[in-house]
Amino acid sequence: MAPQRRLSTPTSDSPAVQPLLRVRDLSVSYGGHQVVDRVSFDLPRGHSLALIGESGSGKSTIARSVLRLLPAGVGRATGTVELQGQDVLALPERHFRPLRGRTIGFVPQDPSSSLNPVRTIGSQAREASALLRDEAGHELDGAAQRQAVVDVLARVGLDDPERVLASYPHQLSGGMLQRVLIGLAVLPQPALIVADEPTSALDVTIQKRILDLLSELRDSLDISMLLITHDLAIAAERADSVVVLKGGTVQESGPTSQVSTAPTSAYAQRLHDDVPALNPDRYADLRAVGEARRADPASAPKIEVRGVTKRFSVHGQELTAVDDLSFAVPAGTTHAIVGESGSGKTTTIRLLLGLETPDSGEIVVAGERVDGRSHAELRSVRRHLQFVYQNPFTSLDPTWKVERLVREPLDRFRVGDKAGRREAVREALDAVGLDHALLARRPDALSGGQRQRVAIARALVLRPDVIVLDEPTSALDVSVQADIVQVLLRLQAELGLTYVFVSHDLALVRQLAHTVSVVRRGRVVEDGTVERIFDAPREDYTRTLLASIPDAGAARRPALAEQAS
Amino acid sequence: MTTITTEPAGSTGSAGPSGGWVPSALRRRGSRRRAPYGVLLSFGVLLLVLAWSLAPGLFTRQDPAHGVPADAFQGPSTAHWFGTDHLGRDEFARVVHGSASSVTSALVAVAIGVLVGGLIGLLAGFLGGWVDVTLARVVDVLLAIPSFLLAVVVVSALGFETINAAIATGVSAVAVFARVMRSEVLKTRRAVFVEASLLLGGSRWHVLLRHVLPNASRSVLNLAVLQFGLSILVIAGLAFLGYGDPPPASDWGLLVSSGKDYPLAPWLVYAPALVTIATVLSANRISRWLRNAD
Amino acid sequence: MGVTRQPRRAPRPYLTYAVQRVVQAVVVVLLAYCFTFLVISVLPGDPVTATLRNPQNNFTEEEVQRIVAYYGLDRPVWVQLWEALSRFVQGDLGVSLRSNLPVSTLIGDVLGSTVVLAVSALVVALALAFGIAYGTRNAPAPVAKALRAFPSLFLSVPNFVIGLLLINVFAFNLGLFQVIDSEGPAATFFAAIALGIPVSAQVAEVLIANLDHEARQDYAGFATSRGLSRSRLFWRHLLKPSSLPVVTVIALTVGELLGGALITETIFGRTGIGSLVQRSVTTQDLPVLQAVVVLAAVVFVVVNLVVDLVYPLLDPRVDLRGAARAPRTAAEQPLETTQGASA
Repeated sequence: MAPQRRLSTPTSDSPAVQPLLRVRDLSVSYGGHQVVDRVSFDLPRGHSLALIGESGSGKSTIARSVLRLLPAGVGRATGTVELQGQDVLALPERHFRPLRGRTIGFVPQDPSSSLNPVRTIGSQAREASALLRDEAGHELDGAAQRQAVVDVLARVGLDDPERVLASYPHQLSGGMLQRVLIGLAVLPQPALIVADEPTSALDVTIQKRILDLLSELRDSLDISMLLITHDLAIAAERADSVVVLKGGTVQESGPTSQVSTAPTSAYAQRLHDDVPALNPDRYADLRAVGEARRADPASAPKIEVRGVTKRFSVHGQELTAVDDLSFAVPAGTTHAIVGESGSGKTTTIRLLLGLETPDSGEIVVAGERVDGRSHAELRSVRRHLQFVYQNPFTSLDPTWKVERLVREPLDRFRVGDKAGRREAVREALDAVGLDHALLARRPDALSGGQRQRVAIARALVLRPDVIVLDEPTSALDVSVQADIVQVLLRLQAELGLTYVFVSHDLALVRQLAHTVSVVRRGRVVEDGTVERIFDAPREDYTRTLLASIPDAGAARRPALAEQAS
Repeated sequence: MTTITTEPAGSTGSAGPSGGWVPSALRRRGSRRRAPYGVLLSFGVLLLVLAWSLAPGLFTRQDPAHGVPADAFQGPSTAHWFGTDHLGRDEFARVVHGSASSVTSALVAVAIGVLVGGLIGLLAGFLGGWVDVTLARVVDVLLAIPSFLLAVVVVSALGFETINAAIATGVSAVAVFARVMRSEVLKTRRAVFVEASLLLGGSRWHVLLRHVLPNASRSVLNLAVLQFGLSILVIAGLAFLGYGDPPPASDWGLLVSSGKDYPLAPWLVYAPALVTIATVLSANRISRWLRNAD
Repeated sequence: MGVTRQPRRAPRPYLTYAVQRVVQAVVVVLLAYCFTFLVISVLPGDPVTATLRNPQNNFTEEEVQRIVAYYGLDRPVWVQLWEALSRFVQGDLGVSLRSNLPVSTLIGDVLGSTVVLAVSALVVALALAFGIAYGTRNAPAPVAKALRAFPSLFLSVPNFVIGLLLINVFAFNLGLFQVIDSEGPAATFFAAIALGIPVSAQVAEVLIANLDHEARQDYAGFATSRGLSRSRLFWRHLLKPSSLPVVTVIALTVGELLGGALITETIFGRTGIGSLVQRSVTTQDLPVLQAVVVLAAVVFVVVNLVVDLVYPLLDPRVDLRGAARAPRTAAEQPLETTQGASA
């Protein structure tokens, strides 16, 4: 299927044909605050174009402008957005409305909130099927509409359309909902679909299936696509051409093969370097330090988890969150726990931190048992065992200033005197590369990357041996992620820290970890060194996960040539 | 009088940036925004009323208790901004001198609500278990009795004085504060940063005093401002029914009540009514602004 | 994965929930009785005997003895409470100290008038609230903006001022109703407006906030992208999720209606529960006061119980096994919605 992902019309050789979507000098401002600045691009019929950028790049705002879904009364768009030759921005709403759904469809970002929670999916699907017309241009009758809905849901891979139609949104999984959204968007057979981060709320393996579905529908139904994404690797794999945005302006645009392999602008170059999937060996030097420690036969494991099982009782049902799980981490190395949502990885680290007590098995950190101890008894372990949360927007008390936040562990453990603590806080800040000027700020006044560095500084300040990191970069932009990863690896090389790194992002794991446990439904599917797992996976599930890493190589393939024949 | 909307807007699910697409440019603004003019004006009104109650003599030199009988029932003029009453007393002087009692009693009511309600909510939310269940029933009882009726019963038990009306109003506000405090404490207790503090070696009390309380008290402060306005209304209502200090006291509600007997001198109703409305509206506006600025 | 629709809720949790709520409601009513009893007993002095002994009241010594024995006034407060509670459970609300009539008779005489007033006020409040909320989403921008100020304004006006204003304008100036004929339909209508306006403000405020919240949700944008007009979006998508939670707010305003009736009935010169309370307060007729308070608590508790029992059946989002489905927290939000500029 891979070769068919791309569509045939080459960008350059049909200049006479009017593009389906033509954006010229589009600027958008919110109450005087300009977020998109004179952006121009063309989307030829049958093509797919990716708008890529980090948060604040204006990519979603552009999509909303094209769809005319900017927040009412706040956003102001100027310039021209021509859809099939009509200027969308200049049309009154009642003239634009007939185009909605039939000419331009929308696949939103977050499937769980994109359907009305108090209405059945069937009743919402009727709004899309009401747009269908027969040959004579009349609306279809009820039965025909229903049949069309059932057909399209089957088409997007839902086994039991009738049951889906009778359900409320919260009764379906995220992947199923995203299929419903795609089904509803393609049902009226629009010429263009705007997909705003259609997979970023989904698990990696489901991401791949949804992207495959979109590519396949695009080919078979001859729909053009405007794809909004933060992920250069996805754009490289799925789009014919790319527009790279930063701070509301176009940094670079062109055919995917060119932008993703040989970017010319500095920003696109940097973005390219920061994407883990495109640069598996970026931190090879720093990682080698830990690798040597791992290979050292004399090194004892810093963390040992042996046969740990944890069951929860949910609404009277027994649920085994972690099932006979074991792993060991040599001192000074990084062990990654990889799994999708519901795999038990969160429970595993909660057990490791002593926040939950295992039903059986034992956990030893730096020679001390963690399991079966009370909060007070765990204090001595906690000095050496620190934790960095996934989301730095919730893990720092918004009423505290940075200095106090970083000093809190010292205060709690009564380490040193006042001057000593002051010094230690500043050293920790230096270690994570934060300016001392930030000491007097509250988290609100920090960026996401700065907050996560504060969280890491807080973990470092007690000089622990082990740091557990729960997807520490998944809430952050890719360039910020690269900075954080760099900091983590440098600290490991310098201080000999041992990391347990939880992630769903295999490409990232490959960059920084030494050993890996792949977990699924609470069990270890496969474990071993990073090289072994990535180069010679033994289990099907591991292979599925690996296949879900966007295939950057696809961009280099001469796709157009394959199609031309 | 009003108890339901005193819950912060969160009662129906968190407003603000939860869910929905918000342009990232708009996302981080809000906390640093300058106060709009309406809010500044509201602060001005409250400050003026506060100044009236602290030093009424600075704003009027007329005697609120003794009038010139010959000047009775004069309409608003430059000499008498709010006109005069049936005894020829200057209505403006009466309003200004009456504000001390109205404002003080509203503050007393809010203080009772914050302290008693806040403590109940804090204990219920933080200790949980049977303490929570017990306190929840107590709060349910306070909520089940219409707050104005409750205030009337309490004031009739204590005696018809303005200070008792203030206590009664405070008692009727306890439930609302307790509920908001409890839900805020529960929310904060589940916050990730609280767990983080426990992981960093913080004790239960440390977490309660340093993390939970400061975060939860933001909403309580905001509610206190709103409740200040509402208390003025309740106390005015009690005074209107004659459950406060008797004349010649000049509580705003009492002024309206005595003014209503003279339909041909409508300013005697509208002047104190407008002052009351302006004060309450200002408190509402400030509370709304505080809520949105969070 | 059968074709038949799976039952959304297992019956057992709902039953458990319902039983719990009913037990809670009964407990609250009993506690409310005790609470008022104790508040009233805090009264300094001994107003009951003072009232009884007051020569103006013409109680014979025999009657006084009978009433003192009936209320157990010569015994400790806890015993009195226990006996009063037992009488209450048997449906005996006691005897008025003023008129020597059973309290239930006194209340029964005036209850009808207050119910009519409160129900009309609720209708007025709902019509006003939905009208305002509808306007904020569908009226032209300047009107919509002006309408948004209404709830706040309505909340800031003392309800006795509203009543006086209505009487001044519509009775004295326009002559649309006679203050003398206080129970007539026209007078009842205006009294209902006076009582309903503050309530409408509360309902409108929540409704507007909910509509704004729902309109910001992703599904509203997605529905618009399917070609729905603004008004169809309002009726088909926004109204139901916004007004479902309002049902609980309306139930909470029941207390407001009963409390507000006190002032409204006084101003409009109506006889009703409110004026009965007024009279009982001035004459220290404590059994009547106690009964009215408990009655109000019963009404409040019953209305809220019914709403709580019916609500889970109305709103598919409520999952009785857990709490209501909370809106997603920031922690669960995907990458694009969390700010993260370069450090």
